[in-house]
Amino acid sequence: MRLNGNPAHPWMSLILYVGAMLLLFEWITPLEIVSDTGYVHLFYLFVAYCFLLTAIHMPVWLRSPLKLVGLLFIIHYLFFDVTFLSREWIGHLISDLQVNIELFSGQNWMQLTPLFRTLLFLILLWMLSYLLYYWFVIVKRPLSFIVFTFIYITVLDTFTDYSAIWPIIRSFVIGVSILGVSHLFKMAENERIRIQSFRVLMKWLAPLLIVIVVGTSIGYAAPKFDPQWPDPVPFLQGAAEEGFSGSGFQNQVQRIGYGENDEQLGGGFLADDTTVFYASARTSQYWKVETKDFYTGKGWERTVEGEFIEGAPGEVLALQPYDIDVERIPTESTIQMVEPGNLTKLPYRYGTTSFTDFPVKYNPETGEVNNLSGSPSDGYHIEVMRPNFPLNTLREARNLDWHVSDAYLQLPDSIPDRIHHLTQEIIEGEENPYDQAKAIEQFFTRDGYEYETEDVPVPYEEADFVDQFLFETKRGYCDHYSTSMVVMLRSADIPARWVKGFTGGELANQANVFDTEGMNTYEIQNNHAHSWVEAYFPEVGWVPFEPTVGFSNQSDFVTGEDTEDLLDDREETEDYEQDIPEPELDEGPEQEETEEEDENETAGASDFSGYTFVKWLVVIGLSLFVLWLIFRNRYRFLSYWKKNQLKRNPDQKTFVNAYGFLLKLLSNEGYRMKSGQTLREFATHVDRQMGNSDMSSLTSYYERAVYREEDLSNENDQIDRLWNKIVRNLIA
Amino acid sequence: METSMMAQHSKIERLVANMEKVMIGKREAVELTVVALLTEGHVLLEDVPGVGKTMLVRSLAKSLDLDFKRIQFTPDLLPSDVTGMSVYNQKEMTFEFRAGPIFGNIVLADEINRTSPKTQSALLESMEERNITVDGNTMALKRPFFVMATQNPIEYEGTYALPEAQLDRFLLKLQLGYPTLQEEVEMLDRTSAVHPVDQIEAVMTKEEVIDLQQEVKHTHLSQHVKEYIVKIIHQTRNHSMLDLGASPRASIALMRASKGYAFLQGRDYVIPDDVKQMAPHVLSHRLLVSSEARFEGRTVTSIVNEVINQTMVPMDRG
Repeated sequence: MRLNGNPAHPWMSLILYVGAMLLLFEWITPLEIVSDTGYVHLFYLFVAYCFLLTAIHMPVWLRSPLKLVGLLFIIHYLFFDVTFLSREWIGHLISDLQVNIELFSGQNWMQLTPLFRTLLFLILLWMLSYLLYYWFVIVKRPLSFIVFTFIYITVLDTFTDYSAIWPIIRSFVIGVSILGVSHLFKMAENERIRIQSFRVLMKWLAPLLIVIVVGTSIGYAAPKFDPQWPDPVPFLQGAAEEGFSGSGFQNQVQRIGYGENDEQLGGGFLADDTTVFYASARTSQYWKVETKDFYTGKGWERTVEGEFIEGAPGEVLALQPYDIDVERIPTESTIQMVEPGNLTKLPYRYGTTSFTDFPVKYNPETGEVNNLSGSPSDGYHIEVMRPNFPLNTLREARNLDWHVSDAYLQLPDSIPDRIHHLTQEIIEGEENPYDQAKAIEQFFTRDGYEYETEDVPVPYEEADFVDQFLFETKRGYCDHYSTSMVVMLRSADIPARWVKGFTGGELANQANVFDTEGMNTYEIQNNHAHSWVEAYFPEVGWVPFEPTVGFSNQSDFVTGEDTEDLLDDREETEDYEQDIPEPELDEGPEQEETEEEDENETAGASDFSGYTFVKWLVVIGLSLFVLWLIFRNRYRFLSYWKKNQLKRNPDQKTFVNAYGFLLKLLSNEGYRMKSGQTLREFATHVDRQMGNSDMSSLTSYYERAVYREEDLSNENDQIDRLWNKIVRNLIA
Repeated sequence: METSMMAQHSKIERLVANMEKVMIGKREAVELTVVALLTEGHVLLEDVPGVGKTMLVRSLAKSLDLDFKRIQFTPDLLPSDVTGMSVYNQKEMTFEFRAGPIFGNIVLADEINRTSPKTQSALLESMEERNITVDGNTMALKRPFFVMATQNPIEYEGTYALPEAQLDRFLLKLQLGYPTLQEEVEMLDRTSAVHPVDQIEAVMTKEEVIDLQQEVKHTHLSQHVKEYIVKIIHQTRNHSMLDLGASPRASIALMRASKGYAFLQGRDYVIPDDVKQMAPHVLSHRLLVSSEARFEGRTVTSIVNEVINQTMVPMDRG
């Protein structure tokens, strides 16, 4: 072993060295998540290989080639099909290197081949392995690297998807161990103590280990304050987004406004009051953009592509065909785009029949409408036949003859059973699909789910998005509610799909965008980006539902003849009234209200929410453990006290006291005084066991003090020395 | 104090070493004899014939430069044979006192249980009182006065066992026991030419002995140890296996013996170890084991040891 930076304590060097390697692993781990690095395990292997070679004693001319071979082998494994180190292989490698060196000299960094980049990275690891060996084993200055590791991990945690809870804990454990061991090392050197056996080393390390275990567990289990300042990331992202006009951070889990990618739902929803468009309309109505059909367990993708159909300006489109049963009320809207950002498709209202200003390409299946001419930021006018959904027909619809794709009943295989059980529980007693859908829609409000846009987690690797929301967090925003409802509808065999768009927006009284008579102008901001649910009912078509708490279904439902029914249904009564624009409908104020409530609630609950029984158990268990440790080591603590006492007061009483304590300590260590045994006999027995004569010497002092009643203050030094020696031997 | 203590101790050491030249492997018996001498006590040696009882006394007497007298007790021995008697001097026309062997410094009373109680008591009373009354005249015995009585435990025919009250007069009861194989071989070596008892010289004068006897009395005895002694004595009185417990005189004896032993060890204070060491020798001849216990095979020594082991050693428990 070359770990002989300290020949007296090879163990220590080994511990430091392994610690250094583990810390370096912590640097590699996030790469898989924050970059496109694959095959991370190979880099672990290479690091371990380099560390091993550095540690083994061998000539330099052998070590470096061995490492190079390891490096090349990894390159081979990753990039080559031909035989390792064959002529062809070397030719490939050299040509690749040549290409890259040219790119290099031309400063075309981004075009370097993966092979070359991997090669550079491996060389970096190689260098690092040597550097760490030097830092940790030769000069023994591990602190800076530990601190850098923490900075690295926390920065990644803050600014990327990388979740550093466990890496931080691991790094803490490794870091503190390394620091503790190296300190111990120095102490041993200063005191010229040789730690010969592993057993002795463990005795040295035991307190350190206890501190680490207790500290880590308390750190893990103890309640934590919420962040004391706002998360800097949205601000930075916002700033970046301004610069990139909103496209740069589209794939971030934090969501702002309308986005295309819904593959990973969850995370906070950021307020952004950028105006997307103005709309003139008689009433506030949802603006639909598109639907998605495939739930992955994490988010939404599209598998039913449908077909795009071209429609001339003013042509009646088959965009939202409803059956004849559905009563339609004619109306119209004009849209003026302001800052569409990611929005490339045209938002429209339920029942839109035609776009009058330009030809469009539309997809009846997914609901997408694209402008065929002109820029998307142009304004446009739509003709709408607003549907009034007939309740009776809806209620008569049965789970038969769905004329829709099976894709709308899709659920991932991994979906937990408890979602299905919950659905069954909710729809129990409801006879028809419509009432079942209503029951599910209202379930969230009834069951106290919270509207929350900020403190919303992204599901863990294994977790299902819906499952996590329904059973664990119980808080979220539109995506959570709508996705959950779709999943539950499908679980109840009701075809459903996920709709994206905007809510009706805010009534803009100041802006005079449109000069149309009798119409209101609504401002639709990024804040109003929304998602909801459509369920399919035969003879009616796709009917929108609004499960999100604090929002209400804006569709009109009519009962035909039966008006009593209408009065019974609170939801529907409300819906009727919504011809009058209500500020309540706007997302802004409503959202604020809920947020405030949430804050109040979470302020009270945050200390203990998630502070589970298990964590309490951990805390109690640890406390008991600490108490037990104190009790176990009480003689150790007491001995320090008595030692100081003995030093300070050289009188007989203190000595007698300290001697009595020593007898107790001995008894605790298994040297129990027998009945009738004299001190001298006992001391002889102890000395025989310990292989010296300290106890007898000390006992003779005691005899003089007690039986001769002699004042021994002159000989206190000797007594002190003997006492300490015996106690030290016993406790060690 | 320290230096004088050292000097005294070395004298005792010399005495013990001198006696050990004769008494091979009998250090304990020698030491106990010296303890008895130092504390002005008397010793009862009880053992089979030929183990060196007489030799022990002789080696002591020769080491001390003291007047040594020997009385061989026989059934027909009269008290006056011990004490001496007044004889009419016809020339002087007066009674003059012929001192008996009791007027020695060291008196060996050999086979004391062979003589009549009357004669025994003549000796034993003088041991306690240290003076003797003959024909109405009270005469002080010599100082130091040290009696070593021997008795043979195996012969009961024609013997007069000493009564318990008389046994109480002896400070210690010793047993010599047989020597080990090596000791006995060494003994043969030493005695093959001239007997060592004839070669040893006196190492201590009469005055020195008296000095030491005074010194021993001043050995420090702490309250703790006093209580320890009394506790042991009290336990013998309440012990179920003992018909007769130790008397207050036993307490005094144990204290004196402990002091002597401490002094012998070169200490001017008594520790519980001294008491523990002396207790069996001081107590064994003062206790009467009940017949049930004897039936169970218990000996007085085992009971004394049991008592000692049950007694908490005194400590300052702060």
